[in-house]
Amino acid sequence: MKRAIFYIVLVFGALMFLYPFLWMLTATLVPESEIGKLTLIPSSVSLNSYRQMFDKIPIGRALLNSVFVASTITLGVLIFGSMVGYALSRLQFRGRNLIFYIIIFTMTLPFQITLIPQYIIMVKLGWVDTYLALIVPYLMNALSIIMFRQYFKSIPQDLIDAARIDGCSELGIIFRILWPNSIPALVTIGIITFMASWNEVLWPLIVIRNEDLMTMPQLVTLFAVGGRAESQLGVKLASAMVLALPIVLAYLFFQRYFIQSMASTGMKE
Amino acid sequence: MKRKITPYLIVSPYIIHFIIFIAFPVIFSIILTFHKWNIISPMEYSGFNNYIQLFQDKLFLKSVLNTLVFLVIHIPLQIVVALFLAEVLNQKLRLRGFFRAAFFLPVVVSGVVVTILWQQLYGFDTGLLNRILVFLGFGKVGWLVNPKLAMPSIAIMATWKNVGLYIVLFLVGLQTVPKYYYEAADLEGASHWQKFTKITLPMINPTIFMVVILSTIGGFSLFIEPYIMTGGGPLNSTLSAVLYIYKQGFFYYHMGYSATLGLFFAIIIVGVVIVQKKFIEREV
Amino acid sequence: MFNSSTKYFQISILLFLVLIISCKNEIDKKNKFLYWSSNNSYEIKFARYAVNKWNEQNPDKPQIKFQPVPEGQSSEEVILAAVVGKTTPDIYSNMWQGDVEGYAQAGALIPFDTLNGFTKFIYERCDSSVIEEIRSQDGHIYQIPWKINPIMMIYNKNIISDLGLNKPPHTYDEYLKAAALFKKDTNDDGYVDQWFGYSEVIVTWWQRFFDFYPLYLAASGGAPLIKDNKAAFNNEYAIKVFTFLQKLYSNQYFARERLSARQDVFLSGVIATRFTGPWEIVHAEKYKPEGFEYDFSSIPVPDDFKGPIYTYGDPKNIVIFNTCKDPQAAWEFIKFMITKENDLKLLELTSQLPRRKNLYNDSLFAGYFNANPKMKTFAKQSKYVKGTDSSPVLKEVFDLISQEYEASVIYGVKTPEQAINDAAHAVNLLFLK
Repeated sequence: MKRAIFYIVLVFGALMFLYPFLWMLTATLVPESEIGKLTLIPSSVSLNSYRQMFDKIPIGRALLNSVFVASTITLGVLIFGSMVGYALSRLQFRGRNLIFYIIIFTMTLPFQITLIPQYIIMVKLGWVDTYLALIVPYLMNALSIIMFRQYFKSIPQDLIDAARIDGCSELGIIFRILWPNSIPALVTIGIITFMASWNEVLWPLIVIRNEDLMTMPQLVTLFAVGGRAESQLGVKLASAMVLALPIVLAYLFFQRYFIQSMASTGMKE
Repeated sequence: MKRKITPYLIVSPYIIHFIIFIAFPVIFSIILTFHKWNIISPMEYSGFNNYIQLFQDKLFLKSVLNTLVFLVIHIPLQIVVALFLAEVLNQKLRLRGFFRAAFFLPVVVSGVVVTILWQQLYGFDTGLLNRILVFLGFGKVGWLVNPKLAMPSIAIMATWKNVGLYIVLFLVGLQTVPKYYYEAADLEGASHWQKFTKITLPMINPTIFMVVILSTIGGFSLFIEPYIMTGGGPLNSTLSAVLYIYKQGFFYYHMGYSATLGLFFAIIIVGVVIVQKKFIEREV
Repeated sequence: MFNSSTKYFQISILLFLVLIISCKNEIDKKNKFLYWSSNNSYEIKFARYAVNKWNEQNPDKPQIKFQPVPEGQSSEEVILAAVVGKTTPDIYSNMWQGDVEGYAQAGALIPFDTLNGFTKFIYERCDSSVIEEIRSQDGHIYQIPWKINPIMMIYNKNIISDLGLNKPPHTYDEYLKAAALFKKDTNDDGYVDQWFGYSEVIVTWWQRFFDFYPLYLAASGGAPLIKDNKAAFNNEYAIKVFTFLQKLYSNQYFARERLSARQDVFLSGVIATRFTGPWEIVHAEKYKPEGFEYDFSSIPVPDDFKGPIYTYGDPKNIVIFNTCKDPQAAWEFIKFMITKENDLKLLELTSQLPRRKNLYNDSLFAGYFNANPKMKTFAKQSKYVKGTDSSPVLKEVFDLISQEYEASVIYGVKTPEQAINDAAHAVNLLFLK
């Protein structure tokens, strides 16, 4: 009896979370006049909305931009994050604590303070409307440094000492010794970083105005807000669908990693 | 010798990055607050004008209050829903993984997608929610049209988007509660509700507070939802502080004023978070 | 081991280099003038035509390199970014009149009246009232009026005749009466779902170009919003417009809901009228259902109104940026691009009206208008259009009006008098700053 109630609650809940997505998918496939019906079974199916959307906005280009930007940032964060994390956890040098406190400080600093000056820096560097503006400010990430520092602390010192005796450089230690032993940390930080930069939209809105350089969320946002969808609802939803699809697909395959990784950002406090 | 320099070389990218993208902007932002600047003309010193304007700016005050309204609705709602679903998911049931994954789906999807989707759900005339309400024999609700309801509607949507993450956090928290506590309570014939309030709640207090802090910080950056959905209306009821700062900066190019708003709002955020932390430390 | 770690380093450096190289998109300047048009596909066609012709006919003069303005959030923002980054073209032909004053004051534009032959030219092309409209506060002229898209009332012919009317409503009273007839709850769920008109329910400043501003120009016979750095709109006309619009919303003749998120409401017959420009023709021809008939008519006016009916012309003008090395030569090209013959070509290719005297009566254009009767309506209107007042804070002015518009017109929480007064007060504060 009790179980039945639990199942009813869960099924109802799942319906609440999945039905809107299914409805959106249907809406992009049916003729314009049928959108808004409650049922999910359309009278006829066409890819017309998608075709129109591809005609109107360079979404393919935006997809490549998004992949390029998010991958570069992720790679950068993994490389630099592990370097700093290593120095903070395994090397002795003056100012180490100072740097650690600075990192903690930057984590508590609201981005609202730096938003305007960062834009001005981009203007002064001539980076507005370049990939640099999208990538460089994100190459360092305080949370990832802290997470690497934490993880590297758990790796036995013997491993590092042995590598040093073999004549391995510090960078060699990081990338040849620590990385292979830190796959879970790399995956977690990689997923978090990739997701965050994939979904970022405020910063691109500020520094990118050239459509060829826009990432997908920005392009879709402007498409949704602006007039270029020509009031064709299915077209608008199709753009949202294309924006959602890559991440949803990745999520379906690597669900467990996604959930664990994103939950671990919450575990930090 | 080489040994001594190496650590600094390794952290140098971070230091450079910190100076250019954090330290300098913070200092520059303070300088900016004393200037009037539209970027195309030269910067003009304006003394405390920006601060005077800020304290007279009813719209900014409203945008801060709007953000607080959002938080006050969003956080409790999120905790109740997340805790409830986590508690149900914590039972020994089949397909738990599937349900957990379903609840988590909106978390991974971009806020842009969620907002475009919910704009359709919330439509007054043809929106899905109103169609369902009419189908069930209720009246239509002006989700985004009624100035009193627009912000709560956005808060509901934000809850829908984020609750999956907090369900997972609560599940982790629930797993830390020792089984024998419940077994002992069972022996004394405690009801499910009693077990929940007397054992579960106190045990997962730390998780609850963590969720409060996380969603506070997230909630203060509310931007894309009102930007796409309502543009800040109706009657400025969904104008969030970040949206207002964005408008001042990138609609009108009031760089100095926008920086002043940003600085002031950041102080508010830090203040609220410190108060919350104090409160937590006393409670735990 | 050592080698492999340096390899990592080399790879990351290489990656950076690739990044930097792929990001630099240098514009080759050479000895050419760079001209940006709008990125509307019809206008691109015209610009190509004009530039090719110039380059062929004048091989000895500076050659023009043409490019549509880079796509962005809006062309206004792209131009601003270019001014900030000093990457402006020599010539730009899609300048919104409201932006000119700000750029002029920042020294980003070349004053045309310092160039040879300009003054004579401009008096031949434009009426003196237009010249006064485009003159900047410092007395110079930084822009050439090129083309306009007057805002008029589009209406669904089928609906108007179904309502038993033989012509579209002309005055506020007629409009309200027709609206009362059309308003309906078609599915009997207790909610109106068929409205007489619609204007996008957003507070963004430019939305007022499609409701308040043309109505105000119509009611006032083309009065300014701002004069001598002061609000000039706190008058009976603005109050009449607000009162009229407020009635439309309080009686549910206009929808308070944002309808833009659904299918085109005009073409699907959910609304009967709307205030819009000639671009609607292209859109309607492409998407209209079978049997759908529509036409354009002037903006509604107060019941006691007499005289010509003005409207907002949405003028787009030509400017030369201060990055141009030889403004005189650039001006020669512009003069060529906007000859009468080329203006006809513009009309034919883009369905946008050139802003020149006697457009409607000129025999050169008559053939086109006879073949395109809907455009004829716009050409007739083009005698009575206004642009915007010169002010560097025009966007803020429209935004402040928008705020009051929302409170009074849409939600009725303020009387029209109070709202107009408050808006004027706020605008005056803006000028004190």
